[in-house]
Amino acid sequence: MSEQAADTGEVVLRLSGVVKTFPGVRALDGVELEVRAGEVHCLLGQNGAGKSTLIKVLAGVHRPDAGDVQWLGERVEFSGPQAAMKAGIATIYQELDLVDYLSVAENIYLGHEPRSLGFVHKGQAARQAGELLGRLGHGEIPAQRLVKSLPAAGKQIVSMARALSHSAKLIIMDEPSAVLAHDEVGNLFRIIRELTAQGIAVVYISHRLEEIREIGDRVTVLKDGRTSAVNLPARSTPTRDLVSRMTGRSIEYVFPPRPDTAPGETLLEVRGLGRSGEFTGVDVDVRAGEIVGIAGLVGSGRSELLETIFGARQAEAGTVVMNGKALPPGSVAAAVRAGIGMAPEERKSQALLLGQPIYRNMTLTNFSSYASAGFTNAGKEQAAAMRVADQLELRPRDVNRAVRTLSGGNQQKVVVGRWLLGDTRLLILDEPTRGVDVGARAELYQVIRDLAANGVGVLLVSSEVPEVLGLADRVLVMREGRVVREAPAAEINEEDVLDLVMAGSLTAATTEEVAA
Amino acid sequence: MTNSIPDTSRRRLLFGGTAIAAGALLTACTSNEQTPTPAQTKGEDTSNPNAAAGKAVTIGFSAPAADHGWIAAITNNAKAQAGAYKDVTFKQVEAGKDAAAQRAALDTLIAEKPDVIVLLPHDGKELNAFGLKAMEAGIPVVNLDRAFPDALAYRLQIKGDNYGMGVAAGHYIGKALKAKNVASPVIGEIAGMDELELTQERSAGFKAALATYGFTVANRRAARFTADSGQKEAQNLLQALPKIDAIWNHDDDQGIGVLAAITAANRSEFFMVGGAGSKKAIEDIAADKTVLKATVTYSPSMASSAISLARLIAQGRGMSDLVELQVPKEVILASETITKENASTYLKLGF
Amino acid sequence: MSVSSEEKVEAPGGHPPHTAPAVAKTSWWKDEAQEPMRRNLGLVGVLLALFAIGAFIRPDLYSNPDWVINNIMVILTQAAAIGVVTVGMTFVIIGGGIDLSVGALIALSGVWATTLATQSFGPVGMIFTAVAVGVGAGLVNGVLIAYGKLVPFIATLAMLVAARGLAAQISGKQTQISADQFINSLATTRIVGIPLLVIILLAVAGLGWVLLNRTTFGRRTVAIGGNAEAARLAGINVRGHTMLLYALSGLCCGIAAIMLTSLATSSQAAAAELYELDAIAAAIIGGTLLSGGRGTIIGSLFGVIVFSAITNLFAIANLPTEVQNMVKGAIIVVAVLLQQVRFSSVTQFARRHGLTRAKPQT
Repeated sequence: MSEQAADTGEVVLRLSGVVKTFPGVRALDGVELEVRAGEVHCLLGQNGAGKSTLIKVLAGVHRPDAGDVQWLGERVEFSGPQAAMKAGIATIYQELDLVDYLSVAENIYLGHEPRSLGFVHKGQAARQAGELLGRLGHGEIPAQRLVKSLPAAGKQIVSMARALSHSAKLIIMDEPSAVLAHDEVGNLFRIIRELTAQGIAVVYISHRLEEIREIGDRVTVLKDGRTSAVNLPARSTPTRDLVSRMTGRSIEYVFPPRPDTAPGETLLEVRGLGRSGEFTGVDVDVRAGEIVGIAGLVGSGRSELLETIFGARQAEAGTVVMNGKALPPGSVAAAVRAGIGMAPEERKSQALLLGQPIYRNMTLTNFSSYASAGFTNAGKEQAAAMRVADQLELRPRDVNRAVRTLSGGNQQKVVVGRWLLGDTRLLILDEPTRGVDVGARAELYQVIRDLAANGVGVLLVSSEVPEVLGLADRVLVMREGRVVREAPAAEINEEDVLDLVMAGSLTAATTEEVAA
Repeated sequence: MTNSIPDTSRRRLLFGGTAIAAGALLTACTSNEQTPTPAQTKGEDTSNPNAAAGKAVTIGFSAPAADHGWIAAITNNAKAQAGAYKDVTFKQVEAGKDAAAQRAALDTLIAEKPDVIVLLPHDGKELNAFGLKAMEAGIPVVNLDRAFPDALAYRLQIKGDNYGMGVAAGHYIGKALKAKNVASPVIGEIAGMDELELTQERSAGFKAALATYGFTVANRRAARFTADSGQKEAQNLLQALPKIDAIWNHDDDQGIGVLAAITAANRSEFFMVGGAGSKKAIEDIAADKTVLKATVTYSPSMASSAISLARLIAQGRGMSDLVELQVPKEVILASETITKENASTYLKLGF
Repeated sequence: MSVSSEEKVEAPGGHPPHTAPAVAKTSWWKDEAQEPMRRNLGLVGVLLALFAIGAFIRPDLYSNPDWVINNIMVILTQAAAIGVVTVGMTFVIIGGGIDLSVGALIALSGVWATTLATQSFGPVGMIFTAVAVGVGAGLVNGVLIAYGKLVPFIATLAMLVAARGLAAQISGKQTQISADQFINSLATTRIVGIPLLVIILLAVAGLGWVLLNRTTFGRRTVAIGGNAEAARLAGINVRGHTMLLYALSGLCCGIAAIMLTSLATSSQAAAAELYELDAIAAAIIGGTLLSGGRGTIIGSLFGVIVFSAITNLFAIANLPTEVQNMVKGAIIVVAVLLQQVRFSSVTQFARRHGLTRAKPQT
């Protein structure tokens, strides 16, 4: 479909001024969106820009606090996902919500099986499912097969067939290409084209600019919960334009200044580290007093890399050397003994004992060192935890309180504080400011910088590019499991990084535009 | 975090050595070399015309996988009795843990076409259909102890008398208390697993027999046929009844625990009657050093008799003392009362 | 690494420094930290209620102080073996697991310890055998779960079946009588009027309390049960510790096997029937979270004693076993409901459903 056709199709969905707030966060802050029948409308935005929340509003999971959602010309408010589905809006999530141990046909008709008098017409369901799969060009998928046995691409097609079974007029696809191998993406695009040819509108979310260029008709860009641009032509808008609409913060974080002193001796040397399907041939050095930041999309292998360095995942190739000593792969205990600490990505599920007091969470890695003959010493532990609490300005400064009662930022301080108690020389931070409010972020940045000033090496991952650039001394950019660029933070800017993570080579994109 | 790495190799070696030594010692400790219980069999008595060798027959046998002495004795007796006949081939199939497992095992047995099947079913009602099937296939079925509801499902029914057991115990206690002239005696009862029909029958018989003397049960506890549960229930019963005249305990296996509780509580103002007739109980009665003065039988010797009768059925012979040319259809063993006076004669039937 | 306290981290960038939220004085009834204490008081209340019911039904017995003291000792004696097992079970559940094999392990340890061959080694041989078999089987559970990655439910269910089978095999399905006077006398020995078995229970519970609350072992248990991934990423050897927890449970089974053998002067493959369910139920009404990470030894001990007291009361009232089991079931449900429903949510519920109104309507 041409861009002109997209402009002329009937408007099926129109959002204006949609606001959605969660405790402490204004996730959507006045979003505009217009989707026409038969177009592929792309949503673009950085992590945290509000894309997920917007999808959930459209899918009926969240109800907007303010603003207008018009569906087929009428103002609607969906009571739940079922209502949205019934109205003709189907959503295909990244983590496909299929039931593994039901058949393809049962999944497609889950919740609206063809039936009479309470009896499901299995044969009819299977036949109709077959027809739907045929419409998607995948009649070869057997309707009786268990969904569990299908590859990711097959499951995605089942999800789409399910959308068709509801006679959806709008299908939202959340990063559909993320689960697909490269050659499967072409097939996905063919299906999308067939859907739009039937007048179905598609909202397409992807981080990959080249995909948007290939399949998209129009682009709406989100930034900090607002629409920063609407209805840009997907093919002709220059990359620079798109990127600049996504970047530039309305809220400027204050990063502590970088010290003038040169970093010290090399603490961590990672050479040729790899795990199949996650990342390959990664080299990283971290020196004492240095903050190294890794930028990359979810799925670029960055979290996996950190966990492998820490021994939480077993390396398949390469070496990790700490302080001149090689670490055995797959041993957290060895990494901790060597002086490595980590604050993992999922604070609540990977790092904290929520019901336990703060001091016990802080001493989780080294309570044995306060113990004598196997008997713990709560007094010493509390005193030590209190020192760290003072140092990190933990609020409230009551180390006997359950961690559950703390705010996100203070919980993160507990996780970081844990490693201040031991002989930690290298601190690995995975998304240290996720779920942390603005004020607490600045404090955390200062804490991290202070640690570095005291000679600790820091290796940091963040989805927020400005954070990596503002905090780190040196930046590594990862894409599809490889380090594609390494540079001092001062020599690289946000647009460069976004270009690298989204489209690959910056030069390639610019030359293309120059040529155009 | 300490940097010292413990000398794990030596620790492991020490630990491993200890573990192996302990293992070797333990495996040596599983043996139970006790003199085997003299099997409750009837040998080839030359004066008995039924004992004379007849046509060679195969007897199929199935009983639940037991965790209880009585059922273990059933299987042992059947095996031993079959071994006593030169003309019998004994084919046992495991009955597993429930009726379904037993049914499956029996189906394979039918396929092997034995001349007769002796069967202690998990549940008479649930295996009734199997009985019918086997009979239709021309294989006579001898039902051991747990009756099939359908008369067509078996050729011979041989069983103990649970109600009669209760009656026997009731009469023993009633007579003894009358003899002592106790006006309104306190009588305790420790039953077996309450959900079983046989327990209910025993208790009903006990109650009925006591009623003929104008006596009632003051407190009834249900144990689980195990010594530890017997101990627990007895301990509570003794607490509930500070003065007791007599106790009937349904099962001699759990009676070991009951006696332990009585000894521990230093109580001896009453006498006790047991049930089933285990070897230990009969010995205790003969020795007369505990409160156990009698036990009423429900003897697993019925398994031996079942094999003997099954053999006769397969060979088409009758019981030589009877006029009939075929084995009768139903044999119900009378519950006998073993006391100090007759204990020596019953000792060989104890299990 | 240490950052000296002079270098105070300051909130930069003009953000107003956060003020610590006023720590509201939470009432004793709502304070989460007081939860175990409240629960234990509740269980003591249940025990007192059971006593009152008994006194009402049988004033003749309850008016005799000697009888009452003796009855308390009976209740405690009956709680002894299952109580020791429950201590081990509490550790396993707090550590995020479950052990369905405890009853079977008691039977196996008891049977193994009372074979004629073992009895020939005397009481030391019997005790060693029971403990070694318990620990060994517990280790098998632990290895299967920690290193074989079997779900605890499945691994210990398999052990339940297998251990009962092995016990039946060893005993030849017979009740094995203990001829050892020392072992048999354990159940009848009293020290200053308290049965030895009760003293053993109190000792095991005391050691368990210290182990759970005062040692690194206990800390690791709570950490692993509360969040195994966090414990792993903190450098704790989660697998090794998980294995030890099941071995500990096995050890408790071995001790309980000796206690039970002594009480019944015998052992058999069917002994300790359904002890696994009693132990789990006792731990749960004692406040142990089935999902792990929280629980108390004292609560579990009270749970066991409550069950034992109910059995005793039903015997004294001459009520049948089936009613007793129904009451036990009801108590478990009520205890768990109390765990979930707090007072505030009850009032909320009442308000939402119009059960309480600001103004009475007419």
